[in-house]
Amino acid sequence: MINKVFNNLKMKIIKFLIFTNTNLPPLKSKIIIIFYLIFFFSTQFKLIASSNKIEKSVFRITNFNQSPDWQSPWKMKSTTRGQGSGFLIKNNLILTNAHVVSNSRMLLINKTSSPEPFLADVVSIAHDSDLALLKVREDRFYIGLKALDLGGIPKLRSRVSAFGYPIGGKELSRTEGVVSRIEFGTYIHSGIDSHLLIQTDSAINPGNSGGPVTQFGEVIGVAFQSNLRLNDVGYFIPIPLIKRFINDIKDGKYDGVPEIGIETSSLINRHYRDYLNLPKNISGVLVDRVIPGSSADGILFKDDVMTKIENKLIDEAGMVSFGEQQVTFFIESENMQIGEKLKIQVWRKGKLHNLVLTLKPPPFGVELRNSYDKLPEYLIFGGLVFTSLNRNYINLQGNMIPSLAYEHWYRDIERPGTRSDQTIVLTKILPASINTGYINYKNFIVNSLNGNPVNTLLDLNKILENLNPKTSYVVFESKWHNLPLVLDYKESIRQGPKILKNYGILHSLNLYSDNF
Amino acid sequence: MNYYKVILYILSFTIFLSNGFKPHFLLANSEDIKPWFQKAVLIKSYQQSYDWLNPWQKREIITKSGMALVVDINNYKSNNIKKSSKINNLNLLTTADMVTDATLIEVTRKDILQPYIAKILLIDYAANIALLSIDNLKFWDKLIPVKWKKIKSNTNSKIKNINSLKIKSEEEWNIQSAKVEQMTIGYRLKSNSWFPQLKIRGISRGNQGYPIIQDNKTVGMILEANTDEAKAIPAEMILEFFKHARKKKYESLAHRGFIWEKMPQTSTADYFKIPTNKSGILISRVLPFGTGSKVLNNGDYLTKIGKWSISNEGKINHPNWGPSQFDLLFLDKLKVGDFVKLSIIRNGKPSKLNARVSSYEEIRKTVPLEKVGHSPRYIINGGLLFQELSLNYLYMWGKNWKSLAPMRLRLFLKKNNSVNIHLQEKNNIQKNSISELEYKSRVVLVTKVIPDQVNIGYQNISNAIVLKINDKLIKNLKDVKNSFFKPINNFHRIDFLPGSDRISVILPVNGLNEANKRIKNNFRIPKLQSF
Repeated sequence: MINKVFNNLKMKIIKFLIFTNTNLPPLKSKIIIIFYLIFFFSTQFKLIASSNKIEKSVFRITNFNQSPDWQSPWKMKSTTRGQGSGFLIKNNLILTNAHVVSNSRMLLINKTSSPEPFLADVVSIAHDSDLALLKVREDRFYIGLKALDLGGIPKLRSRVSAFGYPIGGKELSRTEGVVSRIEFGTYIHSGIDSHLLIQTDSAINPGNSGGPVTQFGEVIGVAFQSNLRLNDVGYFIPIPLIKRFINDIKDGKYDGVPEIGIETSSLINRHYRDYLNLPKNISGVLVDRVIPGSSADGILFKDDVMTKIENKLIDEAGMVSFGEQQVTFFIESENMQIGEKLKIQVWRKGKLHNLVLTLKPPPFGVELRNSYDKLPEYLIFGGLVFTSLNRNYINLQGNMIPSLAYEHWYRDIERPGTRSDQTIVLTKILPASINTGYINYKNFIVNSLNGNPVNTLLDLNKILENLNPKTSYVVFESKWHNLPLVLDYKESIRQGPKILKNYGILHSLNLYSDNF
Repeated sequence: MNYYKVILYILSFTIFLSNGFKPHFLLANSEDIKPWFQKAVLIKSYQQSYDWLNPWQKREIITKSGMALVVDINNYKSNNIKKSSKINNLNLLTTADMVTDATLIEVTRKDILQPYIAKILLIDYAANIALLSIDNLKFWDKLIPVKWKKIKSNTNSKIKNINSLKIKSEEEWNIQSAKVEQMTIGYRLKSNSWFPQLKIRGISRGNQGYPIIQDNKTVGMILEANTDEAKAIPAEMILEFFKHARKKKYESLAHRGFIWEKMPQTSTADYFKIPTNKSGILISRVLPFGTGSKVLNNGDYLTKIGKWSISNEGKINHPNWGPSQFDLLFLDKLKVGDFVKLSIIRNGKPSKLNARVSSYEEIRKTVPLEKVGHSPRYIINGGLLFQELSLNYLYMWGKNWKSLAPMRLRLFLKKNNSVNIHLQEKNNIQKNSISELEYKSRVVLVTKVIPDQVNIGYQNISNAIVLKINDKLIKNLKDVKNSFFKPINNFHRIDFLPGSDRISVILPVNGLNEANKRIKNNFRIPKLQSF
């Protein structure tokens, strides 16, 4: 704050010197110059001091991480070492990105120019907004460190500094740039969530993630991703989302960013507005779809025109004013907490309606987000390995096939209510005499077992467990295959333990997506 | 005893054995090149395919060179063919690939430098055969049609020695020897079809349309030749093509009407109540055309086609070619229009189904390969470009279209497709009824929006699947055309399948004609509707 005042004064003096009449008496000129020099050096001193403070409070994080093998869900992949950054905020907490500390087996934190690593733990993690809070186990780590202050949204074209530990070295790096854009975009860590993000040309490279982006000695964001298709483009998470995260966990658990749960289309086309008989003085966006179970379910309807949100006018492109610019109206809900009320105005059947909806978590299943810190669910029977379809699985090489893509993304959109709780997929077959002939089967979607519907992996397990011991065959049927997959039941039971032993598998199932 | 003579005898005998009882150098000389100057011609086609992304225009010109054979489709069996064939009856035969999308086909005789212009008389894309004609009668002077015969074994070996032509330059024609290794079933990705093919080794690369010669007669025509192997269409199929070509309405060649799988294991056989000692194949998908498509069901176990038993590998014992995939029956044993008994086991009970041997039919597919060489069908209204989803359109994503084309569109190729938007209606149509043929249910897309002031706000739309126009369900482009005649309250409403860039679009009736004229002039589009 003080820095801002100093900077403003400095600018005023410079303007004064440039634009006012220079025929000033020598004494006045001297006084002005002396004042200027005092301000100049004091601001420079402040900046140097704040820069030193920032540098001391930015840490190098080393994450020894290990992720599961989603194709062979009983296995873990090799451990890898990742490097990121983090910085100290109030309450001895270290703020960083979720992706810096995901799938962690051990977290080490080094202070600037210090070789001594300290063990740290994740206090809270928000995969939807790519943020995490850590705490170092030893208190002596915090001696002499000061928490950084959180600022606000920077102005467009204003200068910012990014601090962090990009790969290629162990010392702190500082880069500078300007704020190029403030807009909504996808957070690639979760793969599905879109939030406000700020674009800068300050270099943000791997390892910078989690480091602070500062302006006037205050943190204005957390560096988190770059755009590989563009040169010199980095992004940081803005302060409102960071503060939302910190507020969210005050009750001890993370609830997540709420979602309205609608899809909209622009009404930029004037003929569409004429078709809707929308008065000229009313603007807004068209509601295309209300997701069942979402915050908007039962309150908003298809073909409503959303005209206002939180008393802010929505334009035909679905934008609302946000500081100096326009951003999507979803900004109004993203910094709120689950359970809070959101005011919406709609144009419906020729009238304006003021509505209030209670914010809920996103209506989509967790399987649509990238999964971290979780063990895959699986079940092995007769050498057939079944798992539940999720983003991690479908993104594996060779798994992006039409049937899986339809079940994963399109079914719920095209035919709401027809999607089962989980999509059960035969991920691979462990060759054994019981399953010869089926060894090339892969990505067979199981819809029923011996005529019983299979909606979850738990269902599959329950049906198998409850089969009559005299059952001759297990018949896996799929809506995507005309022929079923048939195994001899008794022989499958008999060979089961031997197959597990042969392939070095300790457990035939993991039905709950546990943290590891 | 002359030792030299003994060594010479031994050497000759060794060569004799190592070359399948007939040395290559002898083979090459056994055919005379001269008669082929009157039977084969060089062909060069300039091809320009349509740009399915901008369907009113064409893509870059490419050229293909190969060979065409002089044929008489009415008189191909006669031994005295030279005397009995009239010039008027002669045509040229080459591969469909050679002349697909051709804008100009030049044909050059060995003895005349001046090329003649040929035109396509008949083309079968699935079987990859094309028949050409040349109006200028001078071209046919002294040309004689090739004689066709089935390939036969020179020896007891399955490998059959053959010859083909080798053209070094327009003046230098030679005979080259090669070997037919096998009669196989070739899968043609373009049409998703299976037809018998000769697999040959020793043919120069790229020799499309060249004859496969045995005893001065033609036993096949080369479809494609790579460095290691060539594929040729056997004479039997070509003769069948001639037979079909003589009819008023051309019907493609005999084809299977199903996709099959091997019985995975005995437990599966037990489940389907199929005796484990009974060989056969499982029908996994019935095609919308082809032999057996009207009588077979998914899950049927096919044990015999006619008198030919089918092995667990899908093979029959062919009298000439030994164990071969059952499709080989369509080479010489089963002809379109024949009736054949299909022995099956259904629900544990054996039965015999009477099936008409039927041909390949592209028209019955939901996502077909549209006729190549014909302008793509489209409608442009208000800048919205409406097209039917076709393989031709998907091919625009290049060789790897199966992984690069939009997933949403590829879903429509998937069998048993639950996204089939017209599935319910289709089921209401009686199987085998005439209306099914006329139905032509297609997936209609707005492939892109050609920018104009009338469609501001819609210009991000691409590959959106059209559900309704003015509340009428859209099943093909004809429906699109008709639906625009019935606007609702002076507006046209177009609804898309959810998941598209937006789910509805409104176009005004007033000013739409002017907008269309603007778009036509601005983007130099010759026609706003292709049909």
